[in-house]
Amino acid sequence: MTRSSGGTRGISTRTTRRIRIFFATICGLLLASPLLYMLAGSLMSNSQLSVQPPQVIPSSFHFANYSDAFSGITQVIQPRSFLNSVIFTVGAVGLQWVLCISGGLVIAKMRFRSRNLITAMFAISLFIPLITTLIPTFIVTYELRMINTYPGLILPIAAQTGFGTLLFRQYISQMPEELFDAARIDGANWWTIFRRLAVPLAKPATAAYFAISVLTAWNMYLWPLVAAEGGSLQVLTQTLAVVGTTGQGEVTPQNVIFASVVIVTLPMILVFIAVQRAFIRGLAGSGVE
Amino acid sequence: MTQVTNPRPLNIRVPAAPLPSRTTRRDGRAAALLIGPNLLMFTVFVVVPIVGGLALSFTTWDITNGFPKWVGLANYHRMFADPLVWQAVETTLKFIVFGVVPTIAISLGLAMLINFKFRFVSVVRSLYLIPAAMSFAASAVVWRYIFLDGPGYGVLDYVISRFGITPPDWLASQSWALPALDIITVWLSLPTATILYLAALQRIPDSVIEAAQLDGAGPLRRARFIVWPGVRYMTVLVAIIALLSFTNGSFDLVNILTKGDPIYATQTLVYYIFVNGFSFGFFGYAAALSVLQIALVGGILIVLRLLSKLLNR
Repeated sequence: MTRSSGGTRGISTRTTRRIRIFFATICGLLLASPLLYMLAGSLMSNSQLSVQPPQVIPSSFHFANYSDAFSGITQVIQPRSFLNSVIFTVGAVGLQWVLCISGGLVIAKMRFRSRNLITAMFAISLFIPLITTLIPTFIVTYELRMINTYPGLILPIAAQTGFGTLLFRQYISQMPEELFDAARIDGANWWTIFRRLAVPLAKPATAAYFAISVLTAWNMYLWPLVAAEGGSLQVLTQTLAVVGTTGQGEVTPQNVIFASVVIVTLPMILVFIAVQRAFIRGLAGSGVE
Repeated sequence: MTQVTNPRPLNIRVPAAPLPSRTTRRDGRAAALLIGPNLLMFTVFVVVPIVGGLALSFTTWDITNGFPKWVGLANYHRMFADPLVWQAVETTLKFIVFGVVPTIAISLGLAMLINFKFRFVSVVRSLYLIPAAMSFAASAVVWRYIFLDGPGYGVLDYVISRFGITPPDWLASQSWALPALDIITVWLSLPTATILYLAALQRIPDSVIEAAQLDGAGPLRRARFIVWPGVRYMTVLVAIIALLSFTNGSFDLVNILTKGDPIYATQTLVYYIFVNGFSFGFFGYAAALSVLQIALVGGILIVLRLLSKLLNR
């Protein structure tokens, strides 16, 4: 963490400091303004929303937009979609975590042939986005009779283990070798080492992994779009995409649409604020506060 | 290999000349069991699709004809003759270059701006980082209204016209639709990029900056001679992560907001892949286009690598 480089050295540095704080705040508000606009709009009436100049703070609050998003003629969010998003996120991230942390331990601390080959495969997969393998992935899932089922929604995403495995490999390989040797001398087998040593000690890495993966899964649009064409498995990003698509949004009032986006996004914003540090650690390795 | 009395060939995999300072312990079986599920899933849903996609690109499979039919390079010939492909490649490259470069520049500026301590620093930083929690889908919805055209709508148009500038038609305009999608994706990419640069900045010791300040180096000189050398290495990572984010964004946003319109102005290669595969059912052709897309991303990564070598020389 950098200390202030101005300190209390004279009035001019103090003024520079104030100006800098002012600019930092303005820029922050500017960056967050689409979110603030969405939040404010979700509490306005439609006539308030179309007033020029635009209202920044709603002159009156319309909380009914939120209930309208869930029911009635303006309904955007099906409770089922909400449930599907939760099932998809928890299932994909939970399963992937088990796969990644065990795989990370194996690559970091165990000796076997083709270790480098496996590591290279994981690394290469990071640069091949799902969109480029979407059709064969769809065919594999289809041939396994899993299209329009929860396993078909979850398993292909849980199987994208490249990032997580390398993250845990990185973290676990920094743990002292003596620790693992000692456990083995005490007669622990690798399963015990995994459960009693690697998982508890890798908690910071797990937090970072969850922070990034939960966001990714909750926000994923592409795979659910093809794996769950049928209505009953739709997730929230698909719901939003429908109202976001030009021409179809006009049916639902803008304020209810904004309320729906807030409802879908708020859980992730809360998660993000709660795990911000872990998220940053996961991205940046270490060094940021 | 002196263990001739051992009834079982235990040492069969030990190299004839053991490597110095390395035990010959092997955890093969335990390792296989522990990493097995991971590798099984990874193979079925990642490796097989990658290899299978390559194979698929040499076939036609239009769903209607039951089995994939081997056609050799026919899909690739068709690809080279298809003007929409090259337009899509151009659109994709424009989308990436005009998105990734501003992302790098702006995020570095923002990271420098917030790299100091003040009373509400964590609150202010949160403002910078919170967009990272948003999906492309959610952003698409909000930005669609920000970009909205017509009298009495569009917040952005209102702000712009206050400055006496006639706002463009954004998503409906042939020349502004792609920049509009770039603006959304830059906005979504900034938090991650800013975090990475902030991490690099915080590794520059305060003493170095303070010394430069005492020596009378202004902000620009400090940026040029202290900050940039300190964050150069991070720029490659920022660029790679932004590149992948723009690749994803070039599908999500296009599919939700423009469907490649107006007149193919926003038809990126990934969207063209999707349309061929899932709208037209040309699985083989879409697979060939996917190979092109992978080559495109690979090519950009090689360019980045060369650039980083130049930068870090």
